[in-house]
Amino acid sequence: MTYSLDPELWPLIRVALHVGFFFTAAYLLRSIFNARQATELRHLPRAKWSARVPIVLLALLFTGILVYQATWQLIGASRPQFIAFMQLHDRRELNPAHRIMRGRILDHRGEVLAYSEEILGQVYRLYPDGPAFAHVVGYSHPWFGASGMESVANVRLNGGAPDGLGDWRKLGRQLVTQDKRPRGQDLTLTLDAELQRTAFGLLEGKKGAIVLLQPDNGAIRTLVSAPSYDPNRITPALFQDSGPSAALLNRATQGLYPPGSSFKILLAALALEKGFSGTLECPADGFTTSTRYRKIRDHDYYTARKSGSTWAGHGRIDLGTAFARSSNVFFAQLGVRYGHDAFYAMTERMQLNRRIVLHETPYGAWSMRTGEIRRLDPSDQYGLAQMSIGQGAALVTPAHMALIASAVGNRGLAVRPRLIETDEPAPLAYFMSTSVAERISVMLRQVVISGTGRGIDTPRLAIAGKTGTAENPHGASHSWFVGFAPAHRPQLAVAVLVEHGGYGSATAAPIARDLLLRAVDLGLIE
Amino acid sequence: MSRANGPIDIADAWDLRAPERALLAWCVVCIALGFVMLWGSTHVGGGVIDGLDLLPLGLYALSLLTLHLLLVAARFRGDQLILVAVAFLSGFGMLAQYRMGSFETEGTISLNLLLFPIGLILMGAIAIVLMRGRYQMLAQGHWIWVWAVLSLGLLAVLLMFGQRFRGGVYAAGLVTPSEILKVTIVLFVAGFVARNAKSLGAWGKGLPLPPWRALLPLAGFWLVLAGLLVVQRDLGLFIILSIAMLTMLFVGTGRAGYLFFGGIGAVALAGAVLKVLPHGERRVTAWLEPFRDPTGGSWQILQGLSGMYSGGLWGEGFGRGSPQYTPIAQSDFIYSVIGEELGFAGCTIVIVFFLILFGRSLLVASRARDADGRLVGIGLVTVLATQTFLNIGGVTKFVPLTGLPLPFISHGGSSLITGFIAVGILLAISDGQPAAPPRNRMSTQTKGVPGKGARRSRGSAAE
Repeated sequence: MTYSLDPELWPLIRVALHVGFFFTAAYLLRSIFNARQATELRHLPRAKWSARVPIVLLALLFTGILVYQATWQLIGASRPQFIAFMQLHDRRELNPAHRIMRGRILDHRGEVLAYSEEILGQVYRLYPDGPAFAHVVGYSHPWFGASGMESVANVRLNGGAPDGLGDWRKLGRQLVTQDKRPRGQDLTLTLDAELQRTAFGLLEGKKGAIVLLQPDNGAIRTLVSAPSYDPNRITPALFQDSGPSAALLNRATQGLYPPGSSFKILLAALALEKGFSGTLECPADGFTTSTRYRKIRDHDYYTARKSGSTWAGHGRIDLGTAFARSSNVFFAQLGVRYGHDAFYAMTERMQLNRRIVLHETPYGAWSMRTGEIRRLDPSDQYGLAQMSIGQGAALVTPAHMALIASAVGNRGLAVRPRLIETDEPAPLAYFMSTSVAERISVMLRQVVISGTGRGIDTPRLAIAGKTGTAENPHGASHSWFVGFAPAHRPQLAVAVLVEHGGYGSATAAPIARDLLLRAVDLGLIE
Repeated sequence: MSRANGPIDIADAWDLRAPERALLAWCVVCIALGFVMLWGSTHVGGGVIDGLDLLPLGLYALSLLTLHLLLVAARFRGDQLILVAVAFLSGFGMLAQYRMGSFETEGTISLNLLLFPIGLILMGAIAIVLMRGRYQMLAQGHWIWVWAVLSLGLLAVLLMFGQRFRGGVYAAGLVTPSEILKVTIVLFVAGFVARNAKSLGAWGKGLPLPPWRALLPLAGFWLVLAGLLVVQRDLGLFIILSIAMLTMLFVGTGRAGYLFFGGIGAVALAGAVLKVLPHGERRVTAWLEPFRDPTGGSWQILQGLSGMYSGGLWGEGFGRGSPQYTPIAQSDFIYSVIGEELGFAGCTIVIVFFLILFGRSLLVASRARDADGRLVGIGLVTVLATQTFLNIGGVTKFVPLTGLPLPFISHGGSSLITGFIAVGILLAISDGQPAAPPRNRMSTQTKGVPGKGARRSRGSAAE
């Protein structure tokens, strides 16, 4: 058969056929209705019982199905979870769920981080500064689904559940006019776009994570994980990479790292809670729980050995001095002195081995891991000594270190971290008593004035914090800085982790300083 | 059959069946429009339309014409609207199956395509063979026990030699012989209830308890059946048959207690069966909480609903949807494909035609002269209506999924043919008894003569 149809005309013909089909079916139904008399079965006797009741029942049953079906098929927009499911998992290009102009995602100043735009009848989701915000905002892709806030806050971004008569009226209008493109609601994050960009730039070419949050209300101003990816261009390759350089991994909230010396904040809190006020002997040769194990020594010992000289050791020092100099020997002894039970009670109190939910909707939760402190055998004293200096069986996430710093800065009370501007600040827990927090604040300030962090001391801002250099089996040490500023009245808590960055004082601390100074410029710190 | 039986000759029949003629013609027009739509979108999509593509419509028109002429020639007096409803639904089924590519074979005619015309003609043949009251043979004498033994025997044989696939048991290929149970078991139960109506209706005085002794054969049969079906994981069929049985008991004896006790039993049983069958519980969870495991247990149902949502009120247009994303779209989920391409309006049309079919069948059953006809009619309507309800309700998440095909529309040879056989028997019942019309003389009940008719009926209904 040879014939050709003008493709230009086809849409018109199609609509005509479509309408014709329905008209014919309707006409057929009408004719059937009218033929009731003509097709009356006169040869049959009168009914023994009335068939009317079962017929009406059947009709009601099937009408019930149709009504219920309409709640999905016609006003599915009133089922937020259903819309969210379709956006994530439905691959029909013509599905109206993909045409919804989702709400924008904004930073706390109103800068747009994600928006929807219609291009040639298709709605695309665009991310103006994609990679810098990818791990918080996430992506929304018709094939690969969604992640991050795009996924968790999907319902709100789609416009939420209809609420009140006006919403339903709008829905009805959309249904009749076939305009299924409602505008969703915007979502304002607590992030500061400018600070986030600065942080992302500082991590360029490195692997690591940076978190800055406000101690008094939990608002997260910066949450960066590097390397990142471009949410405008999601490729299958992104999902196949599960190695150590995976871009999808949010290192700030999911990455577990040995905390190194930054963990000494927790040990100091433990000692102060127990009323420790004495001194400990810290020989140069180091400390071990049994001769079978390698000695735990201070880094001054190794520096001296490298340069060929000998080091005399710290001698008898108190907690503040040990903290400022970051003495491993001191803190290893401290941990062993208080024992396993006290140690685990402290990590428990500081919410380790948990997930903290930052934002939760019926469609998912944006949560962070806190850390992983393995339960060691009670006889394993050396393991405890190792954990006390942030090595061995202790692992934490950068976000949680920032939260611990913020608890110290907020007089012991940790406020639940939040990413959504409109979420109410909520207390999470007292990580330590107020007096202990205040004493640790002073110690942290001392670290920057005269201890391992003195390299970042600046007259413009009183920074307080603890450096960390965490050994790991994969290469050079991880570089940490955990702290807050200004010291007397903390307005931002910070945690910086640079994978394989070497000494905390060399890599992470300067990044933290630059960011805190930038925050001053941006008015986040007065 | 050639001897005049009753006061009707060919010319009368021709006149009598005029409405049917007109309505069938409109059916063909409507279905033809659907085919043109599909051909057009295939052509625009770059496909080639050849003679084989025109075949389904041609066969459809031809089989309706043949069916009509057969009925006229046989001077069939039975219902015309049931026939039209089934004709439209099966045309719709052909459209849907053609759209899903079920008829595509390498240059030859596919069996799936032939099933529709074969079914339609078979339906007419059964109606003609069993008309003038001959359907009564089916539920008389020792026949009912033949049906009972046949039903259980078939299930047992299946259990021994069948293959398992997707949780069900099948014979060769994907033929499911257990489908025919929907007819044979209705025949058995109808006959049994009609014969023992009195004793079955004799409920205890005071404490209204059912007559156990009279019920014993039926209860025993039902227990064996339940066991066999549960082992075969055929929950859907079990539900359908149980509902049909209870309805027939209720109608045959007029005792609502059967429905009451049956309802209690059903709820208790449902709980027990859900514990036994592993996939039962999953399905109920998928039904009650679809968003608990959207990518796992609820995936099918949510994908089907997504397709429907895509369709909206009027649908994408035939051939423009993407039913490839709908799971098992050809059989169980065909309704959601209709919803996607013809929208809510298309679904409504399908449901209205089903209601016409069931409603008219109920009218016919209520007016049958004999208890056998009444009960067989009620049983068959119940079977068809329950299956339709469970399929459509399942796909729309109104009730849990049971994995049943949609009568006359779903892909599935055995189920399709069974539907046509059931409607054939209903049509035969609507033809009534071979008595003269009341205005000539008082009618006397004539019992069909066993022998010739019985043999013939076996030849048709046991196929």
